[in-house]
Amino acid sequence: MESPPEPSAAELAVAAPGAVDGVPEEEAPRRVHPGTIGLWFLKKAPQNVLGLPAIIGVSSGRGLRWILLAAAVIGAAMLVWTWLGWRRFTYAITDREVVIERGILNRTRRSIPLQRIQDVSIEQGPLARIFGLAEVRIETGGGEKDEGVLDSVSLAEARRLRATLRGMAVQAEAAATPSAAATPMAESGEGAGDFVVSEAAPMRVVFTMSPARILLLGAFSFSLVWIAALFGMFQFVDQFIDFGWDQVRDWATTAEDQVRARFSLTAALALAGFAVLLGVVSGIVRTALREWGFTLRFGGGRFRRTRGLLTRTEVVVAARRVQLALTQRGPLRGLLGWNSLSFQTLGGSNDANGRQVMAPLARPHETAAIVNLAGIPPFERLPLRPVAARHILRSLLHSVPLPLIAILAAALFFSPLAWLALLIVPPIALTAILQRRFHRYATRETSYQVMRGVIQQRDWIVPYENVQVVSLEAGWLQRLLGLATVRVDTAGAGVVATPDVVDLTLEDARSLATGLAARID
Amino acid sequence: MLLPDVPLHPLERGQLHAMRLAGAISYGIAAFGLGMGSWVLGRAWEWLPVWAAPLVVLLLAGWSIGVAAPRRWARWGWAWTGRELHVASGWLHLRHTIVPAARVQHIDVAQGPLERMFGVATLVLHTAGTANSEVHLPGIARQTAEEIRDAIREQLTGDPW
Repeated sequence: MESPPEPSAAELAVAAPGAVDGVPEEEAPRRVHPGTIGLWFLKKAPQNVLGLPAIIGVSSGRGLRWILLAAAVIGAAMLVWTWLGWRRFTYAITDREVVIERGILNRTRRSIPLQRIQDVSIEQGPLARIFGLAEVRIETGGGEKDEGVLDSVSLAEARRLRATLRGMAVQAEAAATPSAAATPMAESGEGAGDFVVSEAAPMRVVFTMSPARILLLGAFSFSLVWIAALFGMFQFVDQFIDFGWDQVRDWATTAEDQVRARFSLTAALALAGFAVLLGVVSGIVRTALREWGFTLRFGGGRFRRTRGLLTRTEVVVAARRVQLALTQRGPLRGLLGWNSLSFQTLGGSNDANGRQVMAPLARPHETAAIVNLAGIPPFERLPLRPVAARHILRSLLHSVPLPLIAILAAALFFSPLAWLALLIVPPIALTAILQRRFHRYATRETSYQVMRGVIQQRDWIVPYENVQVVSLEAGWLQRLLGLATVRVDTAGAGVVATPDVVDLTLEDARSLATGLAARID
Repeated sequence: MLLPDVPLHPLERGQLHAMRLAGAISYGIAAFGLGMGSWVLGRAWEWLPVWAAPLVVLLLAGWSIGVAAPRRWARWGWAWTGRELHVASGWLHLRHTIVPAARVQHIDVAQGPLERMFGVATLVLHTAGTANSEVHLPGIARQTAEEIRDAIREQLTGDPW
């Protein structure tokens, strides 16, 4: 996909006001360019018109004439269907919204309010270029990719739409918030210019990772999974490089047998020690490659993070696009007072999307300073309230029975050695019992705060203005126990580690959900 | 009911018919397919009763259309408070979703063929969220859906996030 060159500022300035004045109150619905029928048809033709009949024809041993006939019938049917789809697809710009209607059987009428339009982009694929067409994408910053796609209109119409929508969106925005200095439209529309400005703004370093700290983080990142991968790779390399490995291995096996005959326990311990050493070393190498020279700068309302040893990466995160702050403490690091901080962001024109690590290994006061710079209130432990006591019961029911049944079955049917596995049940049960101690929440003046997790502990700070949808849920077990879960949806979130409050009493859940919804305006 | 303080409207009766018809169609196709399958197998193995598989499907269909569909239908509920849209659903797993109008990015009013037949529509609210970025409210009159859409549009001001 290529985009045509942006029209110059002068061209926009000339086009926009004229277009805005020229737009009538209610523009009649338009269809996309008729050439689109050909475009859509050609895109789907190879597999449907030629592929399918050819496969059926060849596999059932029918002749070329049959294949051509089938292709003609399917092609004609597809053409009619595509034409119907084109006929049903209309768009219109009114003074308040863009309306897109489409669908032959499932008919949808989509309204995109002008205030919500973030950007309008024009794309031209190679096929569209031949037809002189362009695809217009109206972006609203919603959760999906194709929010408002007009596929495809003539290039002139695409330019007209962009100019009109940009002009109108800015007006609508200005009317809605007269005090707003910078509208999101202006920001994302002139993305390049905006970036240059922030480049010029002075930035100061707010957090760095010293080599010693990277080493420490690497030691914490020790993982046995990595060792398995390493051994797998050895095996793989083994097959391709004729290095006399077989002989080495023979010697090693002989030596091992000899050793095992005498000091089997010592040998096993040594092997385990070697594996751990390898795990630590690989953890350090991996971490150093990723985090080397980690520097976080702040200035002009933006964070800039640079890191990496071999591939240096740079990520810009605008403070106003930060949706929530997430602090995590791993099993050992948490005990030693180390945190990691990430921001969940909604990407702008040059900004990164999703969760971005702002400090991989930091002391609480360092992460608090970064959170403060982003304009997010601090995380406070004292006012947090615990969830319902029955959360313990539900965590136990969730985590203990399944391993217990598996162990019982293994012990009874396979080997009495499996009884040894019962040793893992007490830690699991203990973690479940501790669950409630570490699961707390609070609604503060400007933010909603949650902590959850025993082994991997997480703290969320979600400013109310970033809460999108609130929902209350209760499964059958929860209903039996009189519990409910409150889920909070935020922009740019992953599906894992979301700031939910699990197992509140029904009353608490109700007041939390209605309270959260009431604070959104 | 998870939030008894919010009085909920039930869905249109037409939605129940649409759900039943949709169930009938898919179970009908399944019964026909299985019937054909067991007929073909029955020619090879004579002991195989041709009617067994379709009968099981038909019993399931009876339960689904007669018992499950009305219960699921009755669990749906919605309310427009002027600031938020509430949507409740779920038979075993209850769910009550609150969408503040100020967070809505764009709105769909959709109608499938069955929905058109029974005069109902689905209202879809899109937000900037992730896991729950589309909230569907099926089974309301098209006019109601359009009224809610217009009311939400009136509420929109400034920056959604």
